[in-house]
Amino acid sequence: MLGFLSARQTGLEDPLRLRRAESTRRVLGLELNKDRDVERIHGGGINTLDIEPVEGRYMLSGGSDGVIVLYDLENSSRQSYYTCKAVCSIGRDHPDVHRYSVETVQWYPHDTGMFTSSSFDKTLKVWDTNTLQTADVFNFEETVYSHHMSPVSTKHCLVAVGTRGPKVQLCDLKSGSCSHILQGHRQEILAVSWSPRHDYILATASADSRVKLWDVRRASGCLITLDQHNGKKSQAVESANTAHNGKVNGLCFTSDGLHLLTVGTDNRMRLWNSSNGENTLVNYGKVCNNSKKGLKFTVSCGCSSEFVFVPYGSTIAVYTVYSGEQITMLKGHYKTVDCCVFQSNFQELYSGSRDCNILAWVPSLYEPVPDDDETATKSQLNPAFEDAWSSSDEGG
Amino acid sequence: MQKWFSAFDDAIIQRQWRANPSRGRGGVSFTKDADPNVATGAPPRRPRVPRRACPWREPIRGRREARPGGRGAGGTPGETVRHCSAPEDPIFRFSSLHSYLFPGTIKSRDMSRKRHHLVPETFGVKRRRKRGLVESDPLRGEPGSARAAVSELMQLFPRGLFEDALPPIVLRSQVYSLVPDRTVADRQLKELQEQGEIRIVQLGFDLDAHGIIFTEDYRTRVCDCVLKACDGRPYAGAVQKFLASVLPACGDLSFQQEQMTQTFGFRDSEITHLVNAGVLTVRDAGSWWLAVPGAGRFIKYFVKGRQAVLGMVRKSKYRELLLSELLGRRAPAVVRLGLTYHVHDLIGAQLVDCISTTSGTLLRLPET
Repeated sequence: MLGFLSARQTGLEDPLRLRRAESTRRVLGLELNKDRDVERIHGGGINTLDIEPVEGRYMLSGGSDGVIVLYDLENSSRQSYYTCKAVCSIGRDHPDVHRYSVETVQWYPHDTGMFTSSSFDKTLKVWDTNTLQTADVFNFEETVYSHHMSPVSTKHCLVAVGTRGPKVQLCDLKSGSCSHILQGHRQEILAVSWSPRHDYILATASADSRVKLWDVRRASGCLITLDQHNGKKSQAVESANTAHNGKVNGLCFTSDGLHLLTVGTDNRMRLWNSSNGENTLVNYGKVCNNSKKGLKFTVSCGCSSEFVFVPYGSTIAVYTVYSGEQITMLKGHYKTVDCCVFQSNFQELYSGSRDCNILAWVPSLYEPVPDDDETATKSQLNPAFEDAWSSSDEGG
Repeated sequence: MQKWFSAFDDAIIQRQWRANPSRGRGGVSFTKDADPNVATGAPPRRPRVPRRACPWREPIRGRREARPGGRGAGGTPGETVRHCSAPEDPIFRFSSLHSYLFPGTIKSRDMSRKRHHLVPETFGVKRRRKRGLVESDPLRGEPGSARAAVSELMQLFPRGLFEDALPPIVLRSQVYSLVPDRTVADRQLKELQEQGEIRIVQLGFDLDAHGIIFTEDYRTRVCDCVLKACDGRPYAGAVQKFLASVLPACGDLSFQQEQMTQTFGFRDSEITHLVNAGVLTVRDAGSWWLAVPGAGRFIKYFVKGRQAVLGMVRKSKYRELLLSELLGRRAPAVVRLGLTYHVHDLIGAQLVDCISTTSGTLLRLPET
């Protein structure tokens, strides 16, 4: 590390290299930390988490009770012990709250003034963050499993929505109505994701074992249907190609958009080349997946070898993306983990599970240096751990 | 991979020894004074008493060369000659009987230690001092590859059981148990498939289970079997044509309608003949999987055998069994293909967790 610093100082090495090496080292040291906590507000399992891309400071969470909570992740107190407090929440007493479970929440990609949420009550709601009112509501005929808005696009404001029907709907925020329907899947759409590299490329995953890549400007159907066997490509064949041997539950593009990761209920995770749809044959082993709806997993960003964090039962499995090696399993939740997000500025991971907890996984690299100062002898313990026993109590 | 077999024999011998300690074991000296290295000044070898090596006490040279699985076969055999008591020596990085027998299952007990090994790697710390010595080791080149694993596993297949009607079939999951890195195994198998050395066949019972057969074996057996069965019947000609034209040209698992009719000139009736002969199986409207005629019996024995071996682990106390003990037990009558054959498959398919312990490898059913 010191070698890296001096090399950077003298100009022998690119500054990015030090940053990536240190980020990787921090990700390899992710652990539960008794000093970091997230306030517990939800009364039901947590289905979705999202951290805003602008500053990485605010996090949204959506739960099975329909409640949406906004947390501030930044530690502005001087102490090492810190609880991420909820800034505000849309609780059961709010007039516009979702009636059933919230499946996906996402911040507006360009600022934190707005966010969108979709739920089993067949609606997609667009919220104004400052007033906490709904700015718009889109109604659908079927329950909504997932929605996503393009993180890079400046030319369009389309939100892709995957519902229980086989058609993918694209809703336009500017006009307030559904502008497109993409046809091609045969069963419910469990996950949708826009490419972080191209404005108009969308990937959709469905319960009919297929993953399709679309260019939304094109009128005539999908671009590619991913084939796990990498067979010959031809038009007539597309109907038989499957990406997994079961439902495809989760989709995630890598941060450069060149590769796509998919997980399915056949307990496999696959890595695809997103430009030609080829299966890279990276084998992650058995990735247990029993979820009947979407599984939200995430990829790290800014490390020298990227890592993917997948909920695996009640733990989170960490793999390197391009070599398929399992690094570790993060154990800490009591029940099934449903979602996780990575904060790339501080290399922290937040995960939500059905036990109504959000856990923060923080890189722990050094033992805290004990202060020699007199004034620091006051305890910095979490008040819950403080001992209330006193020897002056009279015994019975 | 002769080392594999000698260690396997070891497992049997050790179990017998434990049952009857008065029997001597070949090659193992129980005396503490026979120490050829003392004269050279090298640190004395540990005395070969039958005490299990603790997998956490790695030798220093192993730790220095620790690298995150970037090299094919797991660990180095070291520059010493292996004795029969090899499993007790912590020469491998994650030394235990299992990683010797099944090098595809390097699952360290303590995952966080693996992460700490990776940390200096990211900073490119130069700890590769003995690299030259290691790579010139002649034992390491071939054995780690998928090709060697497939040939070795073919030896386990019981040819006599099917009276030579079936070519020896090996499963992809078995290859994973011998090759430590799955991605490398997949890619090597794909290369072999493209070169035309092996055919990969979809076995019907599980979409994920692929059977691997040498192309030569497939061609000879299918020729013999089909021609014997259908002399004079109309599909002999179609099968011959298929074997001659389609097999060498197209190495995929599946065939499509237009490919068969246009590129290779098969008529619909001929395709029906192929399906009747057992060479093709229907996948979807207009596409077919390649199949092995007569594989039904094999699949039946395989599925029953797999359930039986899993049942052996399930019925044991705490749902876990030492590998050496499992291999030493008598196979139930349902298991026709051999215990080792099934154990390779279970480990590779991750139907049991492999945990290295001080007494060897432990097979445990996963909790989920």
